[in-house]
Amino acid sequence: MAADRTHLEVQSVSLSFGGIQALADVSFGAREGEILAIIGPNGAGKTSMLNCINNFYHPEKGQILFEGHDLTRLSPDKIAQLGVARTFQNIALYTGLSTLDNLMAARHIHMRAGFLQSLVYWGPAHREDITHRLAVEEIIDFLEIEHVRKAIVGALPYGLRKRVELGRALAMEPRLLLLDEPMTGMNQEEKEDMARFILDVHERHGKTILLIEHDMGLVMDIADRVVVLDFGQKIAEGTPEAIRHDEVVIRAYLGEEMAR
Amino acid sequence: MNDADTLPKSLAAGQRKYGNRKVAMRQKTLGIWRSYAWQDSYEQVRYLGLGLISLGLERGDKGCIIGDNDPQYFWAQLAIQAGGGVAVGIFTDSAPDEIQYVVHHSDAVFVFAKDQEQCDKLLEIRDQVPAVRCVIYWDDKGLWSYEEPWLRSFEEVQHLGRALDTEQPDLFERSVEQGCGEDLAVFCYTSGTTGLPKGAMISHGNLISGCDLTMQVDPRQDTDEYMSFLPPAWITENVLGLAVHLRTGMVVNFPEAPETVQPNIREVAPQSLLFSARLWENMVALVQVKLIESTWLNRLLYRIFMPVGYKVAGLRFEERKAAGLPLRLLHTLGEYAVFQPLRDKLGLVNVKSAYSSGAALNPDVIRFFRAIGVNIKQLYGSTEAQVHTLHVGDDVRFETVGIPPPGMEIRIADDGEILVKGPTVVRGYYKDPEATESAFIIDQEGQRWYRTGDAGYIDPAGHLIYLDRVKEMLTLSSGEKYSPQYIEGRLKFSPYIRNVMTVGGEDTPFVTALINVDFDNVGRWAERRGLAYTTFVDLSQKPEVYELIREDVQRVNRALPPAARVHKFVLLHKEFDADEGELTRTRKLKRGLLGERYGAMIAAMYGGDDRVAVQAAVKYRDGREGVIQTTVRVATLDDEADGIMEGRTS
Repeated sequence: MAADRTHLEVQSVSLSFGGIQALADVSFGAREGEILAIIGPNGAGKTSMLNCINNFYHPEKGQILFEGHDLTRLSPDKIAQLGVARTFQNIALYTGLSTLDNLMAARHIHMRAGFLQSLVYWGPAHREDITHRLAVEEIIDFLEIEHVRKAIVGALPYGLRKRVELGRALAMEPRLLLLDEPMTGMNQEEKEDMARFILDVHERHGKTILLIEHDMGLVMDIADRVVVLDFGQKIAEGTPEAIRHDEVVIRAYLGEEMAR
Repeated sequence: MNDADTLPKSLAAGQRKYGNRKVAMRQKTLGIWRSYAWQDSYEQVRYLGLGLISLGLERGDKGCIIGDNDPQYFWAQLAIQAGGGVAVGIFTDSAPDEIQYVVHHSDAVFVFAKDQEQCDKLLEIRDQVPAVRCVIYWDDKGLWSYEEPWLRSFEEVQHLGRALDTEQPDLFERSVEQGCGEDLAVFCYTSGTTGLPKGAMISHGNLISGCDLTMQVDPRQDTDEYMSFLPPAWITENVLGLAVHLRTGMVVNFPEAPETVQPNIREVAPQSLLFSARLWENMVALVQVKLIESTWLNRLLYRIFMPVGYKVAGLRFEERKAAGLPLRLLHTLGEYAVFQPLRDKLGLVNVKSAYSSGAALNPDVIRFFRAIGVNIKQLYGSTEAQVHTLHVGDDVRFETVGIPPPGMEIRIADDGEILVKGPTVVRGYYKDPEATESAFIIDQEGQRWYRTGDAGYIDPAGHLIYLDRVKEMLTLSSGEKYSPQYIEGRLKFSPYIRNVMTVGGEDTPFVTALINVDFDNVGRWAERRGLAYTTFVDLSQKPEVYELIREDVQRVNRALPPAARVHKFVLLHKEFDADEGELTRTRKLKRGLLGERYGAMIAAMYGGDDRVAVQAAVKYRDGREGVIQTTVRVATLDDEADGIMEGRTS
């Protein structure tokens, strides 16, 4: 793992909705194989930042470089094929399908068999299906969701759906994983489980992870570095320890009064 | 069955008999059932055992194992035993300090810990268990970056074993041969309700005779399937799982994850099953819920055929009669339409022996399963003596826990305690001569008995009736003992009884009971019989209702020795109420307060009155509340030769 190589480079990105400046000249880099957390108060522009990386939003200014490709010029599906996967704050799964089918669907970007081959389902197409199923089963085992393999996702409790969504992102075998508030709405135990899974993903596969999270305690525990946004501007960047004692950050979170 | 006297010898015998030709174990991994032949199983144990020997395992050493039901758990246990060691199981949900106690107390030199979760606990207590040479894990998830030489993987140890094997090719076989039935096989730490856990020392001979005795009354074959889901640190899994597997060749299946046990049971459809009473009850509840969600056709079939199932089962088991031809034909139809599909959904399609242990099972639950063709039997046992009693064949009685298997003996001590004797009784507790001395006694004929601490009674048919723990029994003024829990628990099985409190102690000559009728069920019963009633007070004091409840009380009395029977009862004019402080929030009786509040009634029962005047608050249908004067009757049961005299209720 080339720890110092910049894997994702966000260069002076600006985004506005009408008169509201969602992101103002934000720059930061994520090194290969690190867990980088983006934190900030509500409305700071965290999710907008992820949406720019996916190119769901198109920044007015700036570049986002991932392994030499400028993501702002690519469509979201191309970005996914480059190896960028994400989970969403409000969970975006096929609620009528089973866990297994949701994960298998995510494998489509790796599927090679054509329409006719798949129709015959013999030889290469069959073998390919087995390979993908194995990859998916390994993720199911990894995330300990064997018991909901065949369950319809819409009927699962919230914490488990979050886990399934992480599974779907992993099934794409990304090199960069974007996680938008993976622990919101969870109880303490579920949060700890999720944190463990994120650390295991990171450790096992050395993936670069960009993480947005509200729970400061957990962020500080698992992130290698932290970027702090406030009103669309980057106000700090550094190790969790440095961020914890940063005056500007404390003021942004707790207000002027408290900080004094 | 073979004549091997230890578990590893049984494994070797199985390997010689079946080799690669037969499946020994199966586990669902990555969504597929993966099987291990006897040869595979044997080699896993062989190299693991040799690995332990090369790490310094000596005969008599102890090795702890903490992990879920996996083939590796059994292999680890057999590997320790093959090297002459003793396997000590630890429950997976144990906290680090509990693990520390067992590891330290058992003098373990190795610990098998399944995964990161368990390894972390051991790392936490590492300084307190200096005797442990290494911790061996079999699931490396999350452990990839631990740079900790104290932790070793299963494969690493087996690799050491292979190296030792090339140096000394017959070392493993010689080591297995050295074992004998007298050798200790496992320690089972019993979670003592008082004080620290005690380690029962169980020999290979204990386990093998426990298996063989049970097999005489409930044989298993090598084509049978078994699902391993009871905690392997528990004696039951050691005997009915591992030992039976090794002795009969029965296939052991392991669930994919602890959460998938139920669907996995359905896939495997085992021949024998042991659930706690609670699990059987949950199954019935699950059927009711699923039925509501099901199609109208399924509900219709269920409504048509379940009564047929109940009828046929009632004739067969309770009246011991054969059903007539029309009923048998209907039953066959029901078998295809309802019973077989239901058994399939519950994973009971092949089940021949379904056991319940722990708390008493509600007869309604037993009747439900009998109706769909599963005869649930009670099994009563302990860590110290394995299976004490069980129901055999069709001889299943609701109120008993069955008869001892051949070779076991049950005796009731003078104070009512159940004593057990047989080849399964363990040698004692590890490093605890005091506890050993008080739990095992030698009688005048030099026979050694285990004192169960349970109180019981043997009925005329030779069945054991389990009452309660001895220390929970109460003594009457006559010196006779009775069990409040038993009477109350059994009475509450009646759909017409909501709650009961028994009264009786050292200053009273007999047992009495304060009973709450179940307003809904008794009300419905009254409506069916065209019996008019107004309020709870009115309904509870109807002579007909007294007769109804009297039958329930008599049924429970019949299973009890005369002195411990309920002699008088009253049906209360109101329900016990948590809001009035009569019950705790978990709905347990507050006996002291109830005794005071209903003191007049209790006094009447012992004083020989047959009526008591009470003031009762009533709530009318229109919401008005008032206080009425009423009288509550006292019902008396006379048990002349088990006959019941006409009560004096009216």
